[in-house]
Amino acid sequence: MTRIGRRLRGWTNGVLSLPQDVLQELPRITLIGNKELYIENHRGVLHFSSGEIRLALADGILEISGEGLVIRSILGQELAVEGVIGGIRYQGSEEKR
Amino acid sequence: MKAPPLSWLRGVVTLHVTGPQVERFMNAVTEAGIIIWNVKPAGDGASLRLLLEDFFALRPLLRETGCRMHVTGRTGLPFRAARLWRRKLFAAGLLLFGVGLLLLCSMVWSIKVEGNERIADEDILEAARQEGVYPFQWIWRLDEPDKLSRELTSRVPGLSWVGLQRTGTSITIQVVEADRPEEKPLYTQRHLVSRTDAVVSSIYAEQGRPVVGLHARVKKGQILISGALGDEENTEYVVAKGEVRGLVWHEYNIEVPLQKKSSSYTGERKDRLYLVLGGYAVQLWGYGKSGYAESRTLTEQDMLSWRSLSLPLGMMTEKEMELSENVVTVTPEEAKAEGLLRAKNDIYARYGADSTIKSQKILHEKRENGKVYMKVLFEVDERIAEELPIVNNRGE
Repeated sequence: MTRIGRRLRGWTNGVLSLPQDVLQELPRITLIGNKELYIENHRGVLHFSSGEIRLALADGILEISGEGLVIRSILGQELAVEGVIGGIRYQGSEEKR
Repeated sequence: MKAPPLSWLRGVVTLHVTGPQVERFMNAVTEAGIIIWNVKPAGDGASLRLLLEDFFALRPLLRETGCRMHVTGRTGLPFRAARLWRRKLFAAGLLLFGVGLLLLCSMVWSIKVEGNERIADEDILEAARQEGVYPFQWIWRLDEPDKLSRELTSRVPGLSWVGLQRTGTSITIQVVEADRPEEKPLYTQRHLVSRTDAVVSSIYAEQGRPVVGLHARVKKGQILISGALGDEENTEYVVAKGEVRGLVWHEYNIEVPLQKKSSSYTGERKDRLYLVLGGYAVQLWGYGKSGYAESRTLTEQDMLSWRSLSLPLGMMTEKEMELSENVVTVTPEEAKAEGLLRAKNDIYARYGADSTIKSQKILHEKRENGKVYMKVLFEVDERIAEELPIVNNRGE
């Protein structure tokens, strides 16, 4: 992404107040209680066990820890996790703007 | 969304995937656009579900990622169908049963004819058969009921209306017969002959040739109206018809008693009630003697019955009714009048109510043993014609 393009995009965001995930490739994470978790815009599963799931994002890794984690469905860029979710950690590789 | 729509119809495979990099396999699958769900860590790998149609695309992906899989569950219609296909005969039987039921339901099983009195069922059924309505005919091959009933009406003579109704597999043909003129009874060729000796008082030939004239004296068996027309060479026989009346003498011996005994009920009555068990009767009610001088007993039995079976169990009632005897003495004149009336009634009963009594003559009269004896001669004008069939004299 070019410098100008990125700046243009940042500017459009500001002007049109669009959600970030639409324009930038950021994940949208929906958490319902500690039971269900929906992640959109992920980049694949890195690790998967009943205690921990690690997902690749466009810039970084999302770690989900908990008990009895099950991937309810994978549908393209959308992923639904079920189980008792203990924590969500975001390991971002800071990208320069 | 847990599973794709209609996943049961499309078939669902449960897999157990093992390998060093199950995650990579999952990513590869996702990238290939295959939907997987219910991904659970199990053992050293993961179990997941996917549609049967996607299953065959997995092989290259497995090879790519170095994973192994084995199928742990199959659900859905395709697998059911396959299992059923293995039991072909069973499936065929299932199908055959359904088809058989459908075919048997679409068949005419019985035809009933209602409302006919003169025309035989068979005639109507035969006509219906020609119109294509008969047992074991397919219902879909039947014509419209109104058309059929029209055809049947024109096919069977003597029907004024035909209604055809189908209820399930049975057909009811309702008919109304046309009214026909009454058929005249058939007569054989005959003469009219005299029944007794008489003097003809009137003769009227409706058909045939009158042979005797008015005031002619005829003997018993003499031909009055002949059924033979023409001369001796050309003879034609007809049914002689007509009315011949004649004067006939009847002699009656009448005896009338002068004392008349008659008995009548006084109204006094005694009832007895019995319980009948087989051949025995046990009296329940009305013990004791009645004390009537003269009586008549009526017995009534009411046996228990079930449908047409009568049981040996029931009630019997006896009614003993008192009689009283009256003696009435009549005068000889009254006795005479009664005797004559009886004789006249006898004449009317024997020789027809249109007989007329021309005269009566008491030839002899005496009283003896409390009775009146009379000999009376009646002169009666009555019908004297009698039929005599013409047989066997043809072609003589």
